[in-house]
Amino acid sequence: MSLLSTTSLVKQFGGLTAVDEVSFEVDRGETRAVIGPNGAGKSTLINCITGMLEPTRGTVEFDGEDITGVEPHDAVQRGLSKSFQTASIFPEMSVEENVEIAALAAEHGSFQLNFLRKRESFDEVHRISERMLDAVELLDQRDHEAASLPYGDKRRLEIAIALASEPEMLFMDEPTAGMSPGETHATVELIEELQDDLELTILIVEHDMEVIFRIADRILVLNRGRVIADATPEEVQGDPEVQEAYLGGVEL
Amino acid sequence: MSDDTEPDGGPVVDEATERVDGSTDDLLERILARDDLVVVGFVLSLFVFPYLLVNLLTQIGEAIGFSIGGYVGLPTLVLIFGIVVIGFNLLLGYTGLLSFGHAAFFGVSAYAAGIFTAEATAFLPTAVAHSPLAMVGVGTFAALVIAWPIGFVSIRRSGVYFAVLTLTFGQMLYYYALGPGAWLTNGDNGFSDVNVGHLLGTFELEEAILGADFLRAYTWQYVFVAVAAVFALWMANRIINSPYGLIFKALGQNEQRVSFVGLDVFRYKHMAFIISAGFAGAGGALFAIHETYIHPTTSLYWITSGDFVIMTILGGTGSLVGPVLGALIFEYVSNVISGVSLPVIGAIGSLWRFVLGAVFVVIVWVFPKGVYGGVRDVVVALTGRGDDDGGEEA
Repeated sequence: MSLLSTTSLVKQFGGLTAVDEVSFEVDRGETRAVIGPNGAGKSTLINCITGMLEPTRGTVEFDGEDITGVEPHDAVQRGLSKSFQTASIFPEMSVEENVEIAALAAEHGSFQLNFLRKRESFDEVHRISERMLDAVELLDQRDHEAASLPYGDKRRLEIAIALASEPEMLFMDEPTAGMSPGETHATVELIEELQDDLELTILIVEHDMEVIFRIADRILVLNRGRVIADATPEEVQGDPEVQEAYLGGVEL
Repeated sequence: MSDDTEPDGGPVVDEATERVDGSTDDLLERILARDDLVVVGFVLSLFVFPYLLVNLLTQIGEAIGFSIGGYVGLPTLVLIFGIVVIGFNLLLGYTGLLSFGHAAFFGVSAYAAGIFTAEATAFLPTAVAHSPLAMVGVGTFAALVIAWPIGFVSIRRSGVYFAVLTLTFGQMLYYYALGPGAWLTNGDNGFSDVNVGHLLGTFELEEAILGADFLRAYTWQYVFVAVAAVFALWMANRIINSPYGLIFKALGQNEQRVSFVGLDVFRYKHMAFIISAGFAGAGGALFAIHETYIHPTTSLYWITSGDFVIMTILGGTGSLVGPVLGALIFEYVSNVISGVSLPVIGAIGSLWRFVLGAVFVVIVWVFPKGVYGGVRDVVVALTGRGDDDGGEEA
């Protein structure tokens, strides 16, 4: 049974159709990659699913529920979490606080009237924060100000924030963009580990083909907002339409 | 480290021991960062504050020939505005929302408290209707009630639009109190029917607690307001150390991320707004008690809103007691420096805003983090102990 499915999802900006009748399914436990040339609508697709943008038409179903057009915080509470393309962190807070706030949201829901309760008393929140920081190997830096971390660590912190929301499904928007080969390698290993440890379903947008062919179970290929392929990495590699889209018909 | 922690309170203990271990070289910095100790220090300073501001400065003033001492009611007034800006800082310093309409809550509360004392005798015993505690309760409640819809509408926009919306609501109330609402507020003549009774039915607020002449600034009113200020600071400290504190700070830094960790941004911003309005309301009711006269221009006018902003930034946004220092400087310049007469220039008088502007520019220039942040940095620098960021470079 699929965890996430979209049906004829459309997003238009004025006259431009950024996402055009996209229907696809992601199975539980799968790692699904979304690729496509620049401007293919990959980020727009993710934004329509995670609530940042409201789709013009079509539906999004998650875990059997219709979540079309819900607000981001609602989507997160239902188990969809997103890690951003740029390290979207809280720069002037400590590394630990960055993760703690996501753990708080996971434990206590989207809103509570607990403004006179001491944060220190939430043991479960601290436990989750430590576990996630441990998972991304930032536990030793937990008292550092987030802004002082090197870029690769910021991206890892960003992933830890997304994980501390205790998602069932994680959306990763170009997690290795701007990283050195070493950092990329470490990130890929991290993603593979997380997949095993936390039984996550992952949807990843990525440009680095090496990364994709290593971790993806299936690949969704978009071009100009349309799905042109939805298959295993091997099948996608030999698909003439994909080669056409990427290289204008030159053999890969 | 995560493996050997106990689930019940383990992480907290761990953190505490680590703090002690790692803090030997920058103990002072840690102490300054400890909010609980800040509250204790604040309480202690309240015992000497009126003496320093009124008695000591008057003596110094006599020695050097300038009248730089505060008057008897000044310590109380400083703390009243201190309460307002402690709350305002939760909004501006943590959540990063710049409201230009907090005079609305200050003024509505002042009028509500005043009108309550005038009208409630019809259905309540005089002891209750004129009770200072009841006035603060009624005023704060009125501020919270009016903050709900104003926040609900204003929070939907951010930045300049939020500031202008709050400003607009504040000015609407100002003009209402001045004109159409005169049946309630007595308009431009001001509302003078404020009947302040004895505190807890016993203590006359204007009386000095010890009766001794040289301690005349220690009135029951000062005690009342000081207790309220401590309570306000304690509340703010609790809020900052609750989940709200973390969320408010996070909202100020990366609002989008807050919604993408699963938190309802709108409702938390709304709460920040309402909570800060509650502090402004408490201050407004105390202001009515202190002045026993309310005029739209001293309570609801947008300049009052602007004064809250100036006090907060002057003292230091994002620090617990910083804004109170801002209130002190502001009220000192406005009430004492304005009475100083200089050679050549003559009386400063209404030029006090000019002086305040100069003070503001200098402080913001020299200490971008406000007086509190600046003093903290200087102390840390003088003791030769770099803070966490500086330590790495050294």
